Amino acid sequence: MEKTLSQFIIDNIFLFLPLGITGIITTIILFFLPKKETSQISEDQKTDFITFIKFRVNFYVVVYLFVWIMIIIIGLLSDFLVPTIIGGIIAAIPLIILILIEYKTSKSKVS
Amino acid sequence: MAIIEINQNFGEHTQLLAPFIAVIAITWVFLVYYSYKKYGTRMTIVYFLPIIIATLIIESAGVAGGRYYYSGYIIYLSVVGGAVPLIIILAWSVNLFLFMNLGKYFISKLYQKQNYVRIIFISFAAGVFGVCLDLLEDPIAHHNNWWIWGESLAGIKFFNVPILNFVGWFVLIFFMSIATLLIERSRFSENRKVLLSISSIAITGSVIFVVHALIVKLFGFIGLS
Repeated sequence: MEKTLSQFIIDNIFLFLPLGITGIITTIILFFLPKKETSQISEDQKTDFITFIKFRVNFYVVVYLFVWIMIIIIGLLSDFLVPTIIGGIIAAIPLIILILIEYKTSKSKVS
Repeated sequence: MAIIEINQNFGEHTQLLAPFIAVIAITWVFLVYYSYKKYGTRMTIVYFLPIIIATLIIESAGVAGGRYYYSGYIIYLSVVGGAVPLIIILAWSVNLFLFMNLGKYFISKLYQKQNYVRIIFISFAAGVFGVCLDLLEDPIAHHNNWWIWGESLAGIKFFNVPILNFVGWFVLIFFMSIATLLIERSRFSENRKVLLSISSIAITGSVIFVVHALIVKLFGFIGLS
């Protein structure tokens, strides 16, 4: 009989409970120790842009595109056509949204 | 039981496992190098190590609980009784770093305020992006036996993959993104951020455990699992 993650943890509570309590106490101690202030990391998406085949694109979008293409190729080579096409279309949604939103915002900046 | 196991029969009972491993390995190396160059060693540890530890425990529990298993990989790690391929754990760190940064990029175009709501939005977007890619990846993985789901698992399935798997993906990426972003934006020193990112797995893990248990109950209640 298969167990869900929660069932497995409850069955092995004497293993997970000490680990959890140790982690929580350590986090609280680390949180309340005197602070050594540093500057916050700011989000700077401009530096994430690279030039890819004459286009200026976000690095993470290129990585996602690479994974998407490779998984689709593997799916097609596996002779698993319909799920690959359906999954490929769903997995393309983030790409389409990100490209559209970039196009729209860059257009509004120009105008 | 050994913590590290080496399998001599690479690719047994699987199809196209080598290209899948190559895609993950290449992506992982690129992202770790990029993170190291942009954020430095300590912040790269903050981004990659906690998810590696968390998913090692979660995946090992999943295998030990008999929900699924992995066949044909070379290096396996085992912490709570289930053997999990090293590459799968690295793939999870790729997932978190990639989807969290895609979420940041997406939300930066829609919501400019720097507050906690922004962290929720980014994490939500990261979770949704993760599920979108997994809807492509998981059925292909199941078809090629990269991981094999228990035959008796009940409930609604998407090309033989239980729907609860996708819910699990969302919950894990969503809460790990929140924890990572909170630590990233805190004003603690980088050394403290590293320690906090590791110790706070207990808190994030507890939240994931409770939320996942509630969702499983809800799915059972409405007859979806």
